[in-house]
Amino acid sequence: MGQQKERHRILMVSDFFYPNFGGVENHIYYLSQCLLKLGHKVAVMTHAYGNRSGVRYMTGGLKVYYIPWTPFLMQNTLPTFYGTLPIIRTILIREKISLVHGHQAFSTLCHEALMHARTMGYKVVFTDHSLYGFSDVGSIHMNKVLQFTLADVTEAICVSHTSKENTVLRSGLPPEKVFVIPNAVDTAMFKPAVERPSHDEIVIVVISRLVYRKGADLLVEVIPEVCRLYPYVKICDKVRFIIGGDGPKRVRLEEMREKHSLQDRVEMLGAVPHAQVRSVLVSGHIFLNSSLTEAFCIAILEAASCGLLTVSTRVGGVPEVLPDDMVVLAEPDPSDMVRAIKKAISILPTIDPQVMHNRMKGLYDWHDVAKRTEIVYDRALKCTNQSLLGRFSRYLSCGAWAGKLFCLVMAIDFLLWCLLQIWQPAEHIEEVPDFTLSHDED
Amino acid sequence: MVDSDLDSDSCLGYNYLRDCKRSHDIHHILPPTSAFYTILLLCFSALLILATAFYLVFLMEETSVFIVLWSSLLLALLVKLLLRNTIISKESVVVMPAFGVQLETHYAGGKINRRFIPVDKILKPLLLECVTPVTCYWNLSLIVRGEPELTSVFKGLRPPATMLIPIWKALCAATDKVEEKSNITVEDGRYS
Repeated sequence: MGQQKERHRILMVSDFFYPNFGGVENHIYYLSQCLLKLGHKVAVMTHAYGNRSGVRYMTGGLKVYYIPWTPFLMQNTLPTFYGTLPIIRTILIREKISLVHGHQAFSTLCHEALMHARTMGYKVVFTDHSLYGFSDVGSIHMNKVLQFTLADVTEAICVSHTSKENTVLRSGLPPEKVFVIPNAVDTAMFKPAVERPSHDEIVIVVISRLVYRKGADLLVEVIPEVCRLYPYVKICDKVRFIIGGDGPKRVRLEEMREKHSLQDRVEMLGAVPHAQVRSVLVSGHIFLNSSLTEAFCIAILEAASCGLLTVSTRVGGVPEVLPDDMVVLAEPDPSDMVRAIKKAISILPTIDPQVMHNRMKGLYDWHDVAKRTEIVYDRALKCTNQSLLGRFSRYLSCGAWAGKLFCLVMAIDFLLWCLLQIWQPAEHIEEVPDFTLSHDED
Repeated sequence: MVDSDLDSDSCLGYNYLRDCKRSHDIHHILPPTSAFYTILLLCFSALLILATAFYLVFLMEETSVFIVLWSSLLLALLVKLLLRNTIISKESVVVMPAFGVQLETHYAGGKINRRFIPVDKILKPLLLECVTPVTCYWNLSLIVRGEPELTSVFKGLRPPATMLIPIWKALCAATDKVEEKSNITVEDGRYS
């Protein structure tokens, strides 16, 4: 009889979680659900969202702690360094956590949780979901913070090989400590339309936040050119655009629509709720992604799962996402993007949405992501715990001045933890029972 | 003679006493008596009195010993009154199946806060996990008809779940809100 696999008790930490919608939020949710199905205990810790505060239970018995800390900037909690130590310690003890998994380099709650968890001797895993630059002030600051957090991280995960390269360069982490586990898509939620959209007109769908990073300025130049090239073509009468999403660049797109009199050919939907994304996607033939930087791009997966041919900029981890016959790549340049759209229109008759959907089902599966993440957890838990002085040597290597500062921060954190142990001993924190949902069989 | 059943339990420093009679069921929760906190309060009070005495003697000119003594005594009395009316000595839940529930908070100074909730106004007793910016704890609350917020059974104390469960069960039985057969099972036997 085979040896029973070790059951992990994982705490997922990030500032980004439901009811907010996005790539990180989806990743945490689906990964947690699949880990629960594998028999692990999973709890999520995030900050409060409006009235959503306290403990909530989600599908499959996923327990979520909405800590009543008010976000101060871009859904991030105020960085206090030590303010979150008591609550993190309480949750780790009461949930009998064995491993802490932090998500997203931009999340302050994630950085603080990983710092406190390491102080308390817990194994930590970090997942980076984004790409960052090296030259601007914001990136330099962010990279130093990441270097501090990852100096003592047990294992790290990236969503693409490009993302891994970026993280290794930014944090100075040994490449053998960084694993590549791509995102996945819930193909059951993104099924192609029962009836294929008519080829009388080709509909190009764009769904993204209308911001600079997502290439909204590229769209302003690409759309009029495509509309000029395709007033009438052999396989269709005209090309029409559907743009879903909102953001500061929406004004520029509306100005472009007015300037070129494209009101009948460019439909602006505004913000699209996540539940309605599929219904927008299935009304089109081609999905256009114009991002200037992207670590993975889940939107491409969702579009491909709905049977749409993708035209995308060749940036970041995008070339790794789909097979060559399912995507047409272009440089982030208007003329090259127009060329890519022309190519996509020409190969469109060969595309079968249902075949594409079935291929996506096999390529991207959250259960596979969970199994691969489980291997990382197993490796992390096998790592030996270093002494405080041993950990200090890692922080000192972060820089002449920064290293000393990081050591000071960690020393204070350790002292505060010791003080908390005297003030409220671990045995005075009540452990919570494990609830398992037993599915009644008919 | 009225039947009475006394039951007691201790956990995480808290003490639980149950006085079960035919007509009513009383649940008492006594807070942990920590020597550390007592010493801390005494030190704080002593420092406050000494600081006042120092101010009157050294910083104010022409102050008689009589004024210093009276001021110190008055301050000591104020500190004692303050502590006696803020420190909770006991919290009780009196469950009267036919009538309702009485929530009592006993202070060290002898002051008692009582609140009676009629049985027909109690919609459901709930056992919840509460989260504050610094800690998590179990809380026993009541959904009361006509009130926008939950009514917490224990105002100042945070007893462990092992003590709250029998009180919750008693409240469920008294208000005829016995939980429907749930498909949630508790793996840890302590809470069954």
